[in-house]
This record gives sequence, C-alpha cells and structure tokens, in this order.
Amino acid sequence: MSSEILFTVNGRAVTTAVDGAATLLEVVRDHLDLIGTKEGCNEGECGACTVLIDGKPVDSCIYPAILVDRHSVVTVEGLSSTTTGRAIQEAFLDAGGIQCGFCTPGFIVTITALLEHDPAPSQDDARLALAGNICRCTGYSQILDAVAGAIKGRE
Amino acid sequence: MRVKRVKTTEEALNTLAEFGDAALPVAGGTDVMIQLSRNEISPDLLVPIHEIAELSTIETNGGPCIGSLVTHETLAKGALGSSYRSVAEAALTVGGWQTQTVGTLGGNICNASPAADTLPPLLVHDAEVQLRSNTGRRSLSLDDFFLGRRETVRQHDELLISVSLAPAAHRAGDVYLKVGRRGAMEVAVVGYAMRLVFDEDGTVSEARVALASVAPVPVRARGAESLLEGRQLDESTLTGVSEAVLDAIAPIDDLRASASYRKLLIPGLTHRAAAICAQRAGVSTELTGGRA
Repeated sequence: MSSEILFTVNGRAVTTAVDGAATLLEVVRDHLDLIGTKEGCNEGECGACTVLIDGKPVDSCIYPAILVDRHSVVTVEGLSSTTTGRAIQEAFLDAGGIQCGFCTPGFIVTITALLEHDPAPSQDDARLALAGNICRCTGYSQILDAVAGAIKGRE
Repeated sequence: MRVKRVKTTEEALNTLAEFGDAALPVAGGTDVMIQLSRNEISPDLLVPIHEIAELSTIETNGGPCIGSLVTHETLAKGALGSSYRSVAEAALTVGGWQTQTVGTLGGNICNASPAADTLPPLLVHDAEVQLRSNTGRRSLSLDDFFLGRRETVRQHDELLISVSLAPAAHRAGDVYLKVGRRGAMEVAVVGYAMRLVFDEDGTVSEARVALASVAPVPVRARGAESLLEGRQLDESTLTGVSEAVLDAIAPIDDLRASASYRKLLIPGLTHRAAAICAQRAGVSTELTGGRA
C-alpha cells in the first residue's frame, strides 16, 4: 500500500506515492530520474548514494523514503549551481580526483556537507568525514587533494 | 507495506498497542531497511517515530538521561561531556558519518546486535533503560535488557523512551576501544569498554568492564571488575584481570575473525584500556601505552 510524501528535491517541491519499504534512492533515481545518485553496495557501506537531508549526509540506499515527508533533499544535481558545489567540482578536475567516477557524486555530496559545516577542516577531519565513502579505484590521495583545493577555491 | 505516521509518543504507543507484533517503529532506518531488504523481518506496518521531539533530548539529572532518538552524530560530538568519552568514541565508529546522522541510540539498543558499538560504553556507565507502553512504564538495567542475538525483553507494545547513565564521578576515566580489520566502516571484531574510578592514592575504587562481539549479547565482565577494585593498576593485577575477562566471554568463529583471535586480543585491550582510564582520570601508574 502506498503513502504519499511531499518534500523538496534541489529546491523543487515534489509529491510522489511510495511503499513503506521504498528507499529514498529508489525515489530519487526511479521516480524523479535524478540518476546522478549511484547505487553501489545497497546496504549503507559505500556512500555512493549519499544525498543531503536537511543539509546532513545520509545513505539514501538505506533511508526510508517515507521519512523525508516535509523535509529537504539535495542530490548531486542540486550542487552544480552552488558556490560550494562548483568549487568542489573544479577541485576534483584539478586534482584528478575522478577515475571511474562511480563514487564521485557521493564524495561531492559528503564534501559539500563537510565544508558547509566547517569551511576549513583539517585533513584528519576530512578523512573522518569521508570514512563512509569508498572509492574502489582507491584514488583517495587525489580526493583529499581535491578537498584541500576546494577549501582554497572557496576562500 | 503500510505506514502510520505519528507525531507524539502517545500516538506511537497507541499504534503499537493496536497492531502488536505487526508494527515496527523506525527512526533512522539504518538497520531496519537492510533487514527488510534481506527479508529478515516482515512487519505489516512501519511506524516512523523520527519526529517525536521529546525523544530527541538529553537531560541531566545527576547523570545524563538520553532520549532514544538522540543520534550517533550528536553523541560522537561529545554531547555528554568529558566524563562519558567512551560513549562518544563508540558513536563515532557506528558506520560512517552518513549512518551517524540518522542512526539513533535507541535503535542501536533495540536492534540488539552482538557487535553494537554503543552498548559496552552504556554498560560501563550503569545504563538503565526506560520503556513505556500505553498501559505503563518500567525501568530496568540495560544488562537485563538483552535475551540473545537481536532479542530483547521489549514487548511489542513498548517503546524505548530513554537511557539514563550513572552520574559522573570524580577522578574517573572511561574508554571504548574497537578492533576491526580497518579503521573505519567496520563491524567490531571486539569492542571493549572500561570505566575506572580511583581513590586519591591511585587505588581503583570502582571498576566496570564490558565487551561487544564476544558473545550473543554484550557482556559485563564482573569477575574482572572485582579483581580491579581495591587494587593499584600494575602488570600482575592486569594479567589476572585479562584472565577474568576471558572467563566472562564466549566468542565464536565468524567471517570477521576467529574465536581464538578474539581471545588473543583481550590482554592487550585490557592493558591499554586500563592505562587510558588512569591517564584520563589524572592518575599516574607504572603502566605504559595509555596515551589516547
């Protein structure tokens, strides 16, 4: 049986009907066609599906869609027009922070939350914040370089 | 699957009373959604409780009383203060940031995983849990809450409301140590919490030791606690304490580690935990390796 949920995605109000067991990832990708958010492990281990809910990073693959009713969701698509999102994107390009690219949206979303929360995190803080994002190409050094670049880029 | 939205504790309790074991409360969903997708659970009705504001607060009345919806992120930031560092250390290792933002303390308790990180620290702080149904309330020691792996004494019409911890003591230190195969995103191979209170001369006046991932339920090592109390921390005391911890646990071989590896870890963890507790309590000992 479906329940109706009303929430905002990237600033736009949407209404959709979901089953109680539906994940936010299914809604974002299949109902809303926002396919920048990736399905990796589907059990909250890899962070490829990270979105922001009320500004906080959440694994959408294990988040019940019914819980976002009357909340704000931001996906990687919603970051392309923000100052922080653009700074991070530029920094990823400069640092070579992208290999196969599958983990990139999740990393960019988590880094956005990190920088919105603390404009100049230490490298240890960045590592801790990114512990839930896995890059299977193992390009972590370049990703941390990109974080450093994004911090400079926003100054 | 149906959904019943609730705004207040009373509405949640009425729903649980009406639907019994067909209803499942859900807060952050980080365990519930995985278990649903693996068909390990099959409730008819989900009851989202994540917006019940009164369950999201931390009050201090002697010790802290932590609402069941307080998130790991809040605890990891040190919301309970420096006397409860073990709780913050454990919360910081529950999955990654994405899990900690929505995962709740009440969820970690009610899910009753043998490997749950927050449970050993809560046990060393003498945690009591408050349960409520629409016919009454009860409070019990967290140590009496677990019946087995993923099994608790919580009845289907009961909601975990809060967890209260013992008041902070003077000259005390606590710690949570976690062993995993890597530094992050790990289910504990062993989780080890200790809290020690010291007399002025460095004698241990009160000791608590609790572990995760070494039995079907989190374990208090009471024999080890008795051995610590009334003693100064030295190598020979801790050798005996390690033996007593080993007597209290029943680890198994699983995909994360063998039982014998888990046992092998105990002396080192005991030594390190005691040294860190002493260092955090401001007590000097002859032990080494206590920096944290």
